[in-house]
Order: sequence, then C-alpha cells, then structure tokens
Amino acid sequence: MKKRLLSLLVAVSMSIGAMACGAYETEDTAADASTADTGSGSESSEKVFRYSDTVEPTTIDPSKANSIVDNELIHACQESLVRGTGGKVEPGIAESWELSEDGLTYTFHLRDTNWSDGQPVTADDFVYGLQRLLDPATASEYAFIGEYVKNGYEVETGEMEVSELGVRAEDDKTLVLELETPCAYFLSMVGTASQYVPIRKDIVESYGADFAATADKNVYSGPFKLVSTDNMMYVFEKNDQYWNKDAINLDRVEFSVISEPNTAVAMYENGELDFVKLPTDSVAQYDDIDSEFMNGNEDYLYINEESTNKIVSNKNFRKALNYGLNRNDYIALATNNVYSPSNTLVMPLVGGVSKSYGEEYTLDSYPLDGDIDVAKEYLEKAMSEEGYSDPSEIEIELTTTDLEASKKIAEVLQELWQNALGITVTIRQVTYADIYGSVLPNGDYQIAYGGWGPDYSDPYTYLELFKSDCSYNYSNYKNDEFDKLLEDSKTETDVKARMDMLNEAEKIILEDAAFVPLQCRQQHYLLNDKFTGVEFYFCSINIDWVYADVE
Amino acid sequence: MAKYIIKRVIAAIITLFVLITVVFFLVRLMPGEPFTSAKLTEEVALNMEKYYGFDKPLYMQYFQYIGNLLHGNFGYSMFYTNKTVNYIIGQGFPFSADVGIRALMLAISFGIVFGILAAKNRGTKIDFFCVIVAILGTSIPDFIMGALLQYFFGIKWGLLPVAKYRGFEYTILPACALAFYTLASVSRIMRASMLEVVQQDYIKTAKAKGLSNFRITVKHQIRNAIMPVITMLGPTVASVLTGTFVIESIFAIPGMGKYYVESVTQNDYSMILGMTVFYGMFLVVCNLIVDILYGIVDPRVRIGGK
Repeated sequence: MKKRLLSLLVAVSMSIGAMACGAYETEDTAADASTADTGSGSESSEKVFRYSDTVEPTTIDPSKANSIVDNELIHACQESLVRGTGGKVEPGIAESWELSEDGLTYTFHLRDTNWSDGQPVTADDFVYGLQRLLDPATASEYAFIGEYVKNGYEVETGEMEVSELGVRAEDDKTLVLELETPCAYFLSMVGTASQYVPIRKDIVESYGADFAATADKNVYSGPFKLVSTDNMMYVFEKNDQYWNKDAINLDRVEFSVISEPNTAVAMYENGELDFVKLPTDSVAQYDDIDSEFMNGNEDYLYINEESTNKIVSNKNFRKALNYGLNRNDYIALATNNVYSPSNTLVMPLVGGVSKSYGEEYTLDSYPLDGDIDVAKEYLEKAMSEEGYSDPSEIEIELTTTDLEASKKIAEVLQELWQNALGITVTIRQVTYADIYGSVLPNGDYQIAYGGWGPDYSDPYTYLELFKSDCSYNYSNYKNDEFDKLLEDSKTETDVKARMDMLNEAEKIILEDAAFVPLQCRQQHYLLNDKFTGVEFYFCSINIDWVYADVE
Repeated sequence: MAKYIIKRVIAAIITLFVLITVVFFLVRLMPGEPFTSAKLTEEVALNMEKYYGFDKPLYMQYFQYIGNLLHGNFGYSMFYTNKTVNYIIGQGFPFSADVGIRALMLAISFGIVFGILAAKNRGTKIDFFCVIVAILGTSIPDFIMGALLQYFFGIKWGLLPVAKYRGFEYTILPACALAFYTLASVSRIMRASMLEVVQQDYIKTAKAKGLSNFRITVKHQIRNAIMPVITMLGPTVASVLTGTFVIESIFAIPGMGKYYVESVTQNDYSMILGMTVFYGMFLVVCNLIVDILYGIVDPRVRIGGK
C-alpha cells in the first residue's frame, strides 16, 4: 500500500512539475507587465483602454480593409485627408481644401506632419494609396469604394493604367483629386473609410505581399501607432509624431480578439476589459447598466422579381407580405426586443440636409403592427391576377443562412405569415458563404434574408441596392423612374433638391414593395464609466476611442 | 527495427500525399467561393480570382500548390489577406501546444494512476470514485466543463484569471478543462486493461516466483496494460496539441483551434488546406512515434512487423 502511494506521488509531482516549467512563455513580457499594473488598479498614471470584439480583423492593410473592425483599427492609426468622428468631419492631414464650381475637383492643402518613422507625409502618399487601392494587381475586396475618383472604374477593370487615375500631387503639399460625378457625401466618406488614407510606397515595396501583415511592417500617420499584433491582441500607443497629439489623451489601447462573447463579458465584470459588446441573448441580464448604439445594419428580405414562382413577383402579393407582417411581434419573438423594427429602406440616422435624414423626412410606410385587412385585400387582388382561388394554394420559399439567429428569424416570419395570410411558407437554409457567393447574385431564390451596412452617411448607400445597374441589386428590381431619380441625384448640386429626389426614390421603392424591411440592429454594450469621449457611429466605424479620456 | 521504421515512414508520406490531394479537390466542391463578401462586385471578384490564381486550370493550381508545399509554403490566407497560413500557424500553435502539453501531462498521469488504483482496488470506494470521475469526464462536454471552471475559479472565487494567456496561472483552468475528457478515457482504458492483465498466466508465474507485489504491478502488469493507452495516445496527442476550438474560445487562448472551424465557414481554401495538412502531418508523426514506442514496449510487435 505504501509503495502504491509512492508511485502515485511520483506521478503527481511529475505532472505538476511539467506544468510549472512550461513549454512556452509569452514573448512580450514587457507588454504583459504594464497591463497587469493597470489592470490591478489606478496607481499607474498611464491611461489605458482595453476592449474586445468577437471578430478578428481581416487585415490592417488600408487598401484591403473590408470589415468594420479593420476600419476601426486603421482609423486609429492612420490619418486621412479629413477625420470623421461620430459623424462630424474635421480637417485631418488636409489643413484646408477647395471644391471647384462644378463639384468635381477637390484641391487639398496638406499640413506639415510626419509618419511614425519621422518621414514627412506628402501628397504622393495619398496618390499612391488610391492607385494601389484600384490597381487590379492589389485585388482589394473594397476597391469599388475608389470608383468615386475619376477613371476609378476603368483602372479597377484594367482598361486604364493606374497613372490615369484622377488624383495627382501638384507639389509635396497639394493634392488634386477629381471625382467621376459630384458627390455630396465624399468628404464624410473619406473621414471614415480606411481606403483613402495615405500609404508609403517604399514600405509597400520593401515588404511586398507581407505589407501590414504585422505591426512592424507598416508606418503610421494617425493618432496612435500600432506596436503589436501578436497573439490576437492589437496594441496601440500614442503616436508622438501625430500633428494633433495634444488632443489625444490615451497612452495605450489594447484590442483583444475574444471569440466567445460570454468570456469577454466575464472579463469585463472581472475588471480585465473596459468595453465589451453584449451578445443579444444576454442583453436582458444587463438591462440597468448597458447602453446601446445603432450599428447601421439594416436587415431586409430581398424579393426576387424574376422568380420562377410567379406569385412572388406580383406587386400586390409583395404588398400583402409587407402589410401582413406585424413587425413589433416579429421583433419580440425573433430578437427579444433587442433590435428595433423597421419599415423603411434607409436607416434614419444617415445624414440629410442639415440634420439626420430620419428627422427631416418622415415616410408613410407599412404600419409596424401590420394591417391584416389591407394585407388581405392585396392578397385577394394578387390571387385573382395569378389565378389562385385560395390562399392555402400559395407556397413560397424563404431562403436563409445556417446561422442560429437567421434560422430563428425565418421560423418567426414563417409562423407570422402563415397565421396572418393563410399561405404556406417553407424555409431553405444555405451556408453563409453560399448566400452571397451564388444564391443572391444568381437570383436562385424567391425570398431571401439579407442585410446592408452603410459605407457612407447618405441615403444613397441603401437606395443603390435597388438601382437596376448596381451589382448589389439582388432582387432584379427595375423601375425607370427610380433609376432616373438616383442618376439625377448624382449631378444635382443643390443639397436640398438632391435629398428630395432621394426621398422620392425611397417612396417609390416602398410603394412598389420591392422588399420587406425587417429591423435596424442595435448593439448593446458595457463601458467602464471612468472613460469619457468614446464615440459610437453607424457607418464604417462602430467604436471610435481616438479622443477618449480617463476621468 | 530500422526496416520497421523505414516502412512506417514511407507509409506516412503516402498517407499525407493522399490527404493533401483529396482535400485540395474536395474544398473546391464546397458550396460558395472564398470571396463572398456582401459587397463584392463582379469586377473585384475577377481581380481577386486572378490574384489567387483561380483563373488557371485546376490541375495547374494543384501542381503549383504541391510545389509550394515542398518548400514548406502554405500560401496566403484568403480571408486574413496579407497573412500567410504559415504565420498564422506559427502564432497559434505554440499556445495550443502549450496548453495541450499541460493538459496531456495531467490527463495521462492522473488517468493512468486512477486506472491502476481502480483496478487494484476493484469494488472498493476507490474504484467507485475513479469510475465516477471517468463517467463524468466522458459525459460532461468540454464547453460545460470549461464554463463551470471559469465561473467558479475565475468569477465567483476570483482565484484564477478568467481568460487570455499572459502567464502560467492563465493556463491552469484551460489545461484542466481540456485534460478532463482525456483523463477519463485514459483511466477507463487503463482500468479495463489492468483487470485483463491480472488474469494472465505470466502474472501467476510471477506470483509463484515470489516476486513482490510492487514489482509485479510495475514490471509485469503496468507494462503490459499500458499498450492500449499508447494506442489511443497518437490521435489524442495530435488533436489536443493542435488546439481545440471550444476550450480556446472559452478561455480566449490565441491558439489555432478557431482557424480550423472558421476557415471552413469562410471558404478560405488555403487556410483549410494548411490546417488540414498541418494537422495531418502532426497526426502521422504521432502515430509513427506510437508505432515505434510499441516496438520498444512490446517486443512482439517488432517481430510481427518483420
């Protein structure tokens, strides 16, 4: 018995020994030490902001950035011509600028400022940044955002050389940028889109395809410089070369990728993080202490106008679907009231003439509670037009992704429509990669669940989804009047007249019931209340901590 | 012995080659394409396909891939543009392996000890305890185990960090959570195998020769009973060391686990291939080591191998 105990002891001590020695220790112990300091209390004078997200940035290469998180990180470490913060546009590297009479040519005057390695930022860096974005050899997923620049499309498709792009450096400090058509929201887009920041040609050429793969493989022009991207943690430090560094208060920011949202919440509760996004299913738990912002994502059901199921492309039937849906019930059942119901195409927060679009224009749309009587009238009309005698003969298919949340949404809609209209709704699930890869582009669906996040703060970003020549027009919708309004809005230089046109276009699309609006997404979050100045926005960037401070 | 090893190595290389080929062509059959952002325009998609060489015939792409692989190059990820698959594995593997090794040490040592104790004290309270541990270990899924450990030790009692990897204390909970299942299966197998060995004639012979109880247990019983444990260790080591999605995401360990799962949903061809080949190589090597270990532990295998 004693000997048996001995062997047990040997085995235990062996395993503990192995654990204590450790096969691997983290490399950046310096970084860890300082984190530990600030994590334990406020005795350190360094101002550190620690936050997390569930998704990992796809890249920090400005030309290739294609997700909100990519944009947020690049926004903090690179400075564009102008800087957008919570919807306000302020001078960035461009001290001042002029726009020509015809609204086509911007002349930017750049200030004297340096990259994090001490080299001056020049107009050539901006020219190179845009040329690289549109160069087919770069293969940027977000190249289309450069099509605003003159000849942008031609360069992107290889019909023109990159040198023919409508952007040039008059001298080191003067940048001339020509637009394809006048664009009212151009500057506000430049203020948040990372694709318009300057890029250093010599750095790109020395690293090749590895450019910006890690923190040390790029230089930084923004308020912060990236010092580490190792181990799913992005560490920023204040950039002392930044032109406006006196306005920057934080010394260090740590962004961690934590794919399990409940772990991030637990870390927040333990004081290991200062900001977390709440997963929708735990919003109710934190009702008293959480806050929320609109993240700009609108969810829709696309309706295929060219569907083989004729009833689906019938306008009266589409109206019946829209009137027959009680959106308040839907929100309660499908999202636990976390999101807010929507009955329009354009998210109301986007910029209007002088206030937000939603404040300036109110639309007469489908009632949020639905209207069964109106819906039944439209259904009757649709049935007589398409030769049905009873609603139960109608069968439509709703395509959604295999994500749990999308499945739930489809099931709730199925239930609500079947009860309200007496039709049959079947559900088809495809993978997420499949829905944007083939189902929507090929029109291989009847009704499909999708959504849109804005690229700039203007109604056009949503309306374009139904323009007949737009590559995102998945519903194959075509209305000449609608197309003409959008086309004319591009050349209209009077802001009010232009906004009226866009509003008119939205009315048309709602009148045509070309889609089923579902919801605006709200993001609930927990933020340590000692931090001030953290901005939330709905377009390209959700969280902006550039001007944040510790009380 | 040398001949035995060479044969095993050749078999391993062929296995790997078949694996690479099958996976290379299978990923192309998955629905959807790697570039499936909601905002992708046709023009951009064309540029991206050209960039990744998708415009070339498939067999050319295959030979190119094999060529790169021979240089140890897995290529660039199609989702995390600018990062190579080699870089991502290089970043994640040390963390996965670190937590994995700790978990394995725990699992194997405690598992074997529990198995032996249970078998030696069959029908007693000790046996009962070990069997309970084994049943719990195999029936509680790792995400529940992880969440429970995290809740009690991390949040409620504040004894250990909730998540992330910044030092030794951060590895304790994930290693324990990860070890639990393996520990349970090792102890079950060890117990069963010990009980079988005890019945063997050579144990009776050893007893008859008057050997001490300790000597019989260590030299004759354990050495023979451990064979099935070694068998299961090959695949277990490979899967534990290359990272597990669930435990790593619960404890926010920056390991490799998440890329396995993610790459498939993202249709990131080069990442899927890279991960599969890496895991495949690891598995093949582990099995090779197990085969060689057999030869050392049990001379019968060596003879049979000839």
